[in-house]
Amino acid sequence: MKQFISLVIWTAALFVTHNANAFCGFYVAKADATLFNNKSEVIMVRNGNHNVITMSSDFKGDLSEFAMVVPVPVVIAEKNIRVVERRIFDVLNDYSAPRLVNYYDNNPCGYDMRMYEDSYSMAGVPAMAKEEVATKKSSNELGVRIEAQYDVDEYNIIILSAKESDGLQIWLETNGYKVPETARQVLAPYVKSNMKFFLVKVNLDKVKDRTSEYLRPIQISFDHAKFMLPLRLGMANSNGSQDMIVYALTTEGRVECTNYRTVKMPTDRHIPLYVQPKFGQFYKSLFEKTYKQEGRNAVFLEYAWNVSPYTAVKCDPCVGPPPVNYDFVDAGVDWITQGNFNPTIFFTRLHVRYSRDKFPADLQFQVTPNNENFQCRYVMTYPASGSDFTCDEGQEYLVDLYNRRKLEVDELSALTGWSAAEGSGYIREYNKHINAKTRESQRNEGVPATIHNQLPRPWIVAALLIAVFAVLFYSANRRRALS
Amino acid sequence: MQYKSSILTWLRSDGRHFQIIAQISFLLYGVLLLGWDADWRNYLAIFSGVLLCQALAIRFAGYPIDSMKSAAITGLGLSLLMKANDPWLYLFAAMMAIGMKFISKVNGKHLWNPANFGIVMAALLSGDAWISPGQWGSSAVIVFIVGTAGLAVLSNIKRLETGVAFLLTFASLDYARTVLYLGWENDVYLLKLSSGSLWLFSFFMITDPMSTPNNRKLRIVWAIAVGCISFYLASFKFVNGAPFWTLFFLTPLTPLLDSISKNQLSFSWKRSSTQPSTNH
Repeated sequence: MKQFISLVIWTAALFVTHNANAFCGFYVAKADATLFNNKSEVIMVRNGNHNVITMSSDFKGDLSEFAMVVPVPVVIAEKNIRVVERRIFDVLNDYSAPRLVNYYDNNPCGYDMRMYEDSYSMAGVPAMAKEEVATKKSSNELGVRIEAQYDVDEYNIIILSAKESDGLQIWLETNGYKVPETARQVLAPYVKSNMKFFLVKVNLDKVKDRTSEYLRPIQISFDHAKFMLPLRLGMANSNGSQDMIVYALTTEGRVECTNYRTVKMPTDRHIPLYVQPKFGQFYKSLFEKTYKQEGRNAVFLEYAWNVSPYTAVKCDPCVGPPPVNYDFVDAGVDWITQGNFNPTIFFTRLHVRYSRDKFPADLQFQVTPNNENFQCRYVMTYPASGSDFTCDEGQEYLVDLYNRRKLEVDELSALTGWSAAEGSGYIREYNKHINAKTRESQRNEGVPATIHNQLPRPWIVAALLIAVFAVLFYSANRRRALS
Repeated sequence: MQYKSSILTWLRSDGRHFQIIAQISFLLYGVLLLGWDADWRNYLAIFSGVLLCQALAIRFAGYPIDSMKSAAITGLGLSLLMKANDPWLYLFAAMMAIGMKFISKVNGKHLWNPANFGIVMAALLSGDAWISPGQWGSSAVIVFIVGTAGLAVLSNIKRLETGVAFLLTFASLDYARTVLYLGWENDVYLLKLSSGSLWLFSFFMITDPMSTPNNRKLRIVWAIAVGCISFYLASFKFVNGAPFWTLFFLTPLTPLLDSISKNQLSFSWKRSSTQPSTNH
């Protein structure tokens, strides 16, 4: 009775959050302006031990106050530091964002000539700014050494190594990096792990406007076995929980976290039509609820797909134009350019909401061969058009529609915690077309719901295991009886 | 009451009974509560692989019928640890695991833990299998369950000291580095230690009597070595699932260690068994 005629896609302008956001480092304000870093985005490209990490900030404010400190495992050469355009984050974000799919029912009593229009794409992506740099020489007495110092486009970059954290802290503070209290405690473990510190300030001479312009993302590449993101410094100046979206590109397959659970977001759920205008809000509530359900300490999978240039289908449905070769190259994928005509590029999008109490340790990752596709997809089904539902099939359709909508509303409230009361009119919207005869027969039959009644797989597994166990139990007992 | 006590007797008659029940519980926990991707075809492939291979061994190589229990344990171990892209790989790992037992037999024991061997072979040969150390999360409940159930298994088969020696070594080295040397807070350390995979390894894999030394003292020394090497690989070489790989390379030393301690009887699963040989 239901026919899928066409799709309309929506992505969410999700996580439109607060002012500034940090990557795995901390922002420090020279003035005592309070900065929050509530959402950050990072692109991680991993090929063997080669890492390319692109960090984006949505810092807003006076660029002279911008300063960022990121622990990195090695001293990074100047040629391995690039400033890239913010555009690449938009491309990856738009393409992998949770999506809303619309389906349309056919009218069983006639032809349906509807056409399908709307295709919204959007994505809340941040803006940037920039600024100046001033670095004073450190004193050797502090045990701090400037390993390298570069001007890369609008940024001044210093790479420091330190022998002990107190000296590092003093150096940072005398050089205009105000180190938040929470960051001080974790400087020592990074120093002792032999991490270097990647310091970034904005070179104000190279920026036209100190307040309005975008801060472009910085991309660093290096070879190291460690595959991790140092969250703890990033927690420095943030209140409560922070969100981070990780876009990972690998040669092999999915990226998963090795020290926290990686959990799939609920997907392929049927939700009521009235959610459409507030889809962003819907996904936020859904994320919030899922995050709490999973104990606030899981990493969530939002998208996983083989997006290699040669694969035809990269999503179902696609939210926007797929990233193309130069997007991947911008993101740091270097294996497309090496005369490799059939490169595999696997795209994983992870969403982490972290806080100090639930994420004490930095995120560790591994690349797995897992090439199973996944996307966050929510389905809306439009009813058949027209008002003629008098044929028998039409009447049956209306009963099904009523039951389906009941399930959609229940699903919505299970997913987001929203009240089901809002859906009562929606459920009954088409009941006026149900005639007396059908009503009478329904009263006698009590039509069962039709969606989502398949046996969930876990129970099949449970049954299988219990059967194995029973056989073992039986054979053991029988053996004893015989002997 | 009569019935109840007969179940208890049955459970205690063979260390593997507890082990099977504990592993089934973990699998159910993972699938039902943690929401693992549980494709029934994968489990079907694993169990048909291990049970069929073992059945062949029983039919043609004269293994006792209750060696099926060992095969079931191997199947459960694979189900708990292994991930792969294709059901056939699960079948392959299952057959490698059981097949290894017959091929690499030394003094009635075998060179590797079957589940460990199966996964490593599938991972190395196909490149399409892996383990997910993060799949258990860190909820304290799972530690408790794994720990106590593990103790039950071990107290029955006298192998407790192996797991404890490994775990103590690994945990204290990690404490020394993470908290004492690097200066991380205690909860960073606890997060590492509450990894379900670590506990599962300690109580269900390294304790396998068929691939560990017979002599108790040597076994403890051996387990400490596994702990040290795992710690080194995890902390300095950033190897994921380090204990697992370490075990793969250290169990083949067992025949060597057994040969320098001739006086020990080899292991038997049965509690009051008089047979000196193995029925694994």
